[in-house]
Amino acid sequence: MSDVNLSSPGIVSGQSLRIILRERTVALLAGLFVVLVLVSAYLGWSATTTVNAIYNDAVVYLQAAAQPVPPNPVNDISPLSLMRNMSIYVSLIGALAAIVIGYQLIATDRKSGILPLIGSRPIDRFAFALGKIVALAKANGGLMGVAAAIAVGSFLILPSASPDAMGWVRLMAFFALSFLYMMLFGLLAMAAAASSRSESVGLLVPVTIWLTVTFILPSLTANIHPTAAINPISALALPPDTVFFRWTGWLLGPLSVAESFKYLAAGLLDYLPATARVRSVVPPLPDLLLALTGAGWLAARGLARMDMTRGDYDV
Amino acid sequence: MSELSNPVNAIARKDVTDALRDRFILIVIGFIALAATTSLVTGAIALATDMATYNDAKATLLALGKTLDSIAAPEFYPLKLLRGAIEQIEIIGAVLGIIAGFRSALSERGRQTLALIMTRPLRQWQFLAGKLAAGAVLISTGLLAVFVLAALLLQLISGVGLGLGDLGRIAIVWAVASFYVMAFFTFTFIATLWIKRPANALLVSFAVWLLLVLVAPQIGDTLDPDNQVAGGVFKQLMVPKAEQDRIKAGYGTFETIRNGIEASSITKHFERFSFAVLGIKDNYTGMPLGPILVEKKGDFFWIFLTSLGLAFVMFVRPLKSDRLTKE
Repeated sequence: MSDVNLSSPGIVSGQSLRIILRERTVALLAGLFVVLVLVSAYLGWSATTTVNAIYNDAVVYLQAAAQPVPPNPVNDISPLSLMRNMSIYVSLIGALAAIVIGYQLIATDRKSGILPLIGSRPIDRFAFALGKIVALAKANGGLMGVAAAIAVGSFLILPSASPDAMGWVRLMAFFALSFLYMMLFGLLAMAAAASSRSESVGLLVPVTIWLTVTFILPSLTANIHPTAAINPISALALPPDTVFFRWTGWLLGPLSVAESFKYLAAGLLDYLPATARVRSVVPPLPDLLLALTGAGWLAARGLARMDMTRGDYDV
Repeated sequence: MSELSNPVNAIARKDVTDALRDRFILIVIGFIALAATTSLVTGAIALATDMATYNDAKATLLALGKTLDSIAAPEFYPLKLLRGAIEQIEIIGAVLGIIAGFRSALSERGRQTLALIMTRPLRQWQFLAGKLAAGAVLISTGLLAVFVLAALLLQLISGVGLGLGDLGRIAIVWAVASFYVMAFFTFTFIATLWIKRPANALLVSFAVWLLLVLVAPQIGDTLDPDNQVAGGVFKQLMVPKAEQDRIKAGYGTFETIRNGIEASSITKHFERFSFAVLGIKDNYTGMPLGPILVEKKGDFFWIFLTSLGLAFVMFVRPLKSDRLTKE
């Protein structure tokens, strides 16, 4: 029998991935995400064709009334912006799916009682942590790969809306950015699942962080109402020009990673309004990377300190 | 007190004591209060800015000897400032229902006490009624605290004072918000008792929450063509209102589908009801309460019957003997 190196991150990540692929909740959230990516492509196409049809109706009226005909707003819309709803679905269900994957990668081990067994083997804790993080990256990468394939397929089906070469690069950059955003929440969920004594707390801590950055911080930094956070255009609205919002935007901006993600996504998908500007003391991309590094550190620390002599959660 | 109601009271009291002792629900209610306060304060600051801008423009025009016809005064209706707070209750209030329902069921399955309770001379409906009553008390009291805080802040911020009519409107919205959040409580409670692994029930509830609270309204919002162009498509095309209505009439089927998707969400019904009662939506600002309640009774019944229907499902389906403990 060949020797199996338990200290190999590859062994840990492979085994972890196989386990979470059997989890119905992961399948449910991942399936929901894929369906919504499809919906997003349809919504982009539907909304644009409807605006185009309304314009054609309006032109008939304006010409009959001998009024000037403004340019068709659809012509100002970049083909890439057809996918603008995807940025919202990544920030909503993509982040939640990543939380569930990150949580399940740790919680299934804890609940099945195999941690003491793993702890009794000569396993390198760093390799174990790395293996879990690699598994998270592979699972999130798989989801993003499916989303990217759907987006590419949609553009191929709609040749009139096909982006140019630079557009394809930007589209791929958007999926890379979305992958990083999902990793951020997956890593936070891993850290919470590894550190908490209670199963529900382990799941609810990352969910609370996600709720805060998605719905509360944008209202503090830019007076964006919670339901505006679900509209890709409204989420980029300018804050009132006051001392209060200038200071909150500057100071709390670095914590408002959902805003950083939406700003970068709008730039890549070509629907960033000309008036939009960065208010935070830390620009959006460094902000996301810093948050990702912090989450990675928390996950590695949580996994390194996880008690391998017990496993299951308290209630 | 009747012989039958004692076990119901005992279970309800035990659940409320549990929730107050572990403080988890209190923390979530505090979180909603924080979110609602944030929205209220930022809304007030934004309004104060509009007022200041208007006053500056007014002073400039008057100094130039011009009339004020060219600028519109910002409207000030204190209850409109509750918009952000209501939206936070729509989203995070529903999460409170999910967490309270999950913990209510998990506290028995997780501690292996459900099997023990079932060995006592206690009817199943009494156990469920006790749990439901405790959930209703915790949720309605928690939301009451949030609404009282919001009303006090509104009084302080607006400086004009809230009348009895305003407080009555807030009380109506509080009652409907309690039914709304209870629907999520009951759904999660049922799922946590019936699904093999309780943690999966929490995730299923979050998936349902995501679909009803965020995705359905998002799709409805996106399908509205007027939301696709900055400032609105009709405004950009400079089409008068009558012509807008004629053009919109040509998209009747599209609008029916859009409205149908929105109407499938209990959240949208809560939003439509509360925005109308509080006068947040311009059509209802300053309108007497009676006609609003008549017009919005459909939204109220949707919320009330969903909550009631889920409670009915809970009572008619027997507890499963293989789901009495945590997997």
